[in-house]
Amino acid sequence: MHISEGILTTPVWLAGYAGTAVLAAVTMRKLDMEEVPKISVITAVFFIASLIKVPLGPASIHLILNGLVGVVLGWRAFAAIMLGIILQAIIFGHGGITVIGINSLMLGGGALIAYMVWQQRHRFSFKKRELVFGALAGAAGTISSGLVLAGALITTGEEFYAIAATVLAAHVPIMLIEAAVVGSSAAFLYKTKPDILAGRRQTVKEG
Amino acid sequence: MALDIDRYHSVDSVVNRWDPRTKIAALGILIFSIALVKTLPMALVGFAVAVLLIRLTALPWHFIFHGLSFVLIFLVPFFFIMPLSYPGESAFEILGLGFAWEGLRLATLIFIKAISIVLVTYAIFGSSRFDISMLALQHLRCPKVVVQMLLFTYRYTFVFLDEMRRMHTSMQARGFIARANMKTMTILGHFVGTLLIRSFERTDRVFKAMLSKGYQGELHSMVEFHSHGIDYAKAVVVVVFSLALVVGDFSGQWPQAVQGWY
Repeated sequence: MHISEGILTTPVWLAGYAGTAVLAAVTMRKLDMEEVPKISVITAVFFIASLIKVPLGPASIHLILNGLVGVVLGWRAFAAIMLGIILQAIIFGHGGITVIGINSLMLGGGALIAYMVWQQRHRFSFKKRELVFGALAGAAGTISSGLVLAGALITTGEEFYAIAATVLAAHVPIMLIEAAVVGSSAAFLYKTKPDILAGRRQTVKEG
Repeated sequence: MALDIDRYHSVDSVVNRWDPRTKIAALGILIFSIALVKTLPMALVGFAVAVLLIRLTALPWHFIFHGLSFVLIFLVPFFFIMPLSYPGESAFEILGLGFAWEGLRLATLIFIKAISIVLVTYAIFGSSRFDISMLALQHLRCPKVVVQMLLFTYRYTFVFLDEMRRMHTSMQARGFIARANMKTMTILGHFVGTLLIRSFERTDRVFKAMLSKGYQGELHSMVEFHSHGIDYAKAVVVVVFSLALVVGDFSGQWPQAVQGWY
């Protein structure tokens, strides 16, 4: 899911760069040396996981997994996704150089929202909590990215309204698949290696 | 999947011999000037230059076409959607939808600009080793930490891709077939989770090895950059051309694409 080169008007993609610069600066504050390899790993996994195809009727779609990046990295997710987008632009010409800003804002912003949703799990306590909130985070990540994408197309011009509507509609099945995959992934990680997940609460039991 | 963009960096050409720092700076300006173009004739001039540039790099065509095929998938639908959904007067009707020439013109403009920019990107990053390009970026004031993460990620991508292929093979050996059902989604979720854990533990070991060899948050390189007169001359030619492209576009000689709030 990318905005391609050449579509957006100059003010829109410049605004994308500005927004990305601000979010990157805020979310990468006080970056520890030890976090650098961790962020790179998740970026690489995010990058190659987008090559996984999921069958959907006669067609197949690619996983996006920006929600999962949010669930694993927390606020640092934005940096990871921005790096992934830069690499994709350089290596595949996927997206493109001028749209690095708006694409990072779209997918990275979605990851941050996914993390916010994921954190709400602390308010509840039930058996399949990680599965449910992982799924919600996956859905939130996808749908907020879809909304940013549609918004960018709409602000570009009236002639893009039809495309924006098509794009939003296409996001509904993607959202369901992402929810299922991210939910099951989050539950799996919680069971097997919980310290990889972001936003845990440290509870020290007395005695 | 062509992940190694720098596969042909050792080919000898005018672009490959260019100092990576001045190359990235000058061709970066060219990319942004192509992105600013709003008229078809100027976009075509930009396209011609992009093709000339990619010819100069001596990258084989099959390599370039393979890269372009990803972009084409995204762009071809525009030729169908834009003319039919363009607001305003339509020339004739197809299946009850108005066909507007203006929409087709906009789709063509988008198409030409996108292809040109991807070609220039290939000329930049296809003509020198990836790590050298990244170091050059660092010399151009790109934050150190970003450059390092890009280098790590690039390296890990190949390692994890192999890991993913191995895992996929073992899944198939046990009879896994991807279907559009909940079970497949659950298995894929576990697959991604396992991939994450394995990758994570592996890089943890790598990181410890790096620490024990004295890593302190900085990568040292033996690469030295030298810019000579010829490097600057190439940069000047490209920058002057980029400016000419933008000026020609604003001169009002040709009708501009009407887009939103211009």
